[in-house]
Amino acid sequence: MKILAPIRELDELEMLHAAGAEELFCGFVPQDWLERYQGAVWLNRRSTKGSSLETLGDMRALTDAAHAKGLPVFVTFNAPYYTAEQTELVMDLAQRLSEECGVDAFIVSDVNLMLRLSEARLHAGTHVSSVAATLNLEAIRFLLNFGPSRVILPRSVTLAEIACIKQGVGDECEIEVFMLNDGCAFEEGFCATTHHHSVGAFCTSLSGMQTDFEWHGRHFSVRRRAWLRKNLEDYREWVWYLNGNGCGSTAKGLPYGPCGLCAVPDLQKIGVDSLKIVGREASPLKKLASVKMVADIVHRARHGVPKPVVIERAISLRQAPEHCHSGYMCYYKVDA
Amino acid sequence: MEVTLQVGCAAEANASLAEALGWELSAKLRPLLDSLAPLFDGLEVTRTSYGAEFCEHLLPTPEALQAVRAACLRPFTFLTPYVGDAGLAKLRALLPELRPGDEVIFSDWGVLNVLHREFPHLVPVQGRLLNKSLRDPRVMGLYAEAGPGPTLTVLQGSNLDNRAYTAMLQRFGVQRAEIDGLPQGNDLAAASMELTACLPYGFISTARVCQAAGLGYRKAEKFQPAAPCKQECQTFLLEHAYTNSPFENRDQRFWLKGNSYFYLHTPAMVKALVRSARDGALKRLHLQTRLPMLANGVAA
Repeated sequence: MKILAPIRELDELEMLHAAGAEELFCGFVPQDWLERYQGAVWLNRRSTKGSSLETLGDMRALTDAAHAKGLPVFVTFNAPYYTAEQTELVMDLAQRLSEECGVDAFIVSDVNLMLRLSEARLHAGTHVSSVAATLNLEAIRFLLNFGPSRVILPRSVTLAEIACIKQGVGDECEIEVFMLNDGCAFEEGFCATTHHHSVGAFCTSLSGMQTDFEWHGRHFSVRRRAWLRKNLEDYREWVWYLNGNGCGSTAKGLPYGPCGLCAVPDLQKIGVDSLKIVGREASPLKKLASVKMVADIVHRARHGVPKPVVIERAISLRQAPEHCHSGYMCYYKVDA
Repeated sequence: MEVTLQVGCAAEANASLAEALGWELSAKLRPLLDSLAPLFDGLEVTRTSYGAEFCEHLLPTPEALQAVRAACLRPFTFLTPYVGDAGLAKLRALLPELRPGDEVIFSDWGVLNVLHREFPHLVPVQGRLLNKSLRDPRVMGLYAEAGPGPTLTVLQGSNLDNRAYTAMLQRFGVQRAEIDGLPQGNDLAAASMELTACLPYGFISTARVCQAAGLGYRKAEKFQPAAPCKQECQTFLLEHAYTNSPFENRDQRFWLKGNSYFYLHTPAMVKALVRSARDGALKRLHLQTRLPMLANGVAA
């Protein structure tokens, strides 16, 4: 069970490696893409500015240095789709990143791109992105037609479902799951919205909109209206947690936000191959704190520390037990 | 021109479009639908659809499906959602109720895999959830107003523009795909497949975590993926007004039904789609005169 960390530039490598990162992923957006699409059409699932590497030289330097430390580097090509014109641009990039820069795998959502990469037979492998919405065993079996070496399960896949999937296809591909930071209120692969800065994410934008309920039963009593309103408030609170507790942090600068630390013993027992820390656009401090937290818990799980003790440690690491106990900050529902 | 009509129970299986346009009972949606109704003049229903695209908890029982299928005198299309393994098991048990040649709209690669392997006598159709294009009604219309260019070309296209992709789908028996009318406009010429447009509602987003289902749980237990529900989605509609828009579209409305958000096509969008269907650029229209989150004749 590896710890997969996000990285934005070579300068972050030393600290992430020292903190316990065992695999790395990053975005890559060249200048000519930015010029052609002017920031509105993203090459990957992060804003085009400030969260990706931009030159092949930088990419090569990163992969060389990471490989020297024994860390593979994966690159995100995880936009929900690429048109025919874009696909040719992405395939050209993939060829160069694989053959010239030594990138180890591409993280891909678009089935057409998976198909094209499988035909191109590059050195770099393919990881199925969570944006491909592989929610069941048969979906993974279908995508295995395109030769991925790993499948990243969406955040909404439960522990029981992960166990079923790992048992069913664990011999044919690796399974990666989410461990820390960003959440998604919707099924990421079935969300047709943009996170463009001009409007922000749809799920958080909804919390600021005026709302009105219409009851479809016989009598819309004051009590029923209050019941619906309370549920909407709870939902908005849940979205606030998904959004990194309003993008907040503890007094010591540790990141808030969705978390799977308490599930590490279960995920280890299931045989999950990789734990993803989200946030390649985040500050180096947030990345470092995230990797340290995950490494601390994984280390204990690997050394057979009992599950209740690991959970207690995880809650203490987050430094905000009231948030842990809210039930809204967890990726996975864990039986203690 | 082919026209599919979605129904919710056996009694509706052979309904006309005129009847279906009276089904919406929502005081919020009914006037909006009434204003679009004249744009459907002259359309004749040629096919019936039934099922659920957005939620595995809205899949009908085998008995309910059997009743609709038996009552239906028109060609039949069964709508299926994205599913976890439990939902897929439930769905698999429904597929034997269908007849050879019936269409199945799939919204999940796992469902296509099962159809291809175990039910080759059924006709798979790629659902709109797998037709990848941005539909964000908050902002997409503004790109259209900005005029032609590489950005708009991408936004009006979709994954169906890639011939390698549609050829792969055809190897799995898929000849047709469903799409939404896009706020930024659709480039239908780019798609290399027979297309059906769903209208008048487009989907914005959908989730395994259902806000409506939260009504049945204590606060700390709410909003768990695929949590069992009592179809609370059937009891209310939540309308959002885009009052916090940074642009001038603060009168825009979005609707939440259960786990999914929808937008309503504007008259201009409906006109464009109907015209495309008459011209042959679209092979079929799929009319859903109620938000496509029906209980499917099953008591909540």
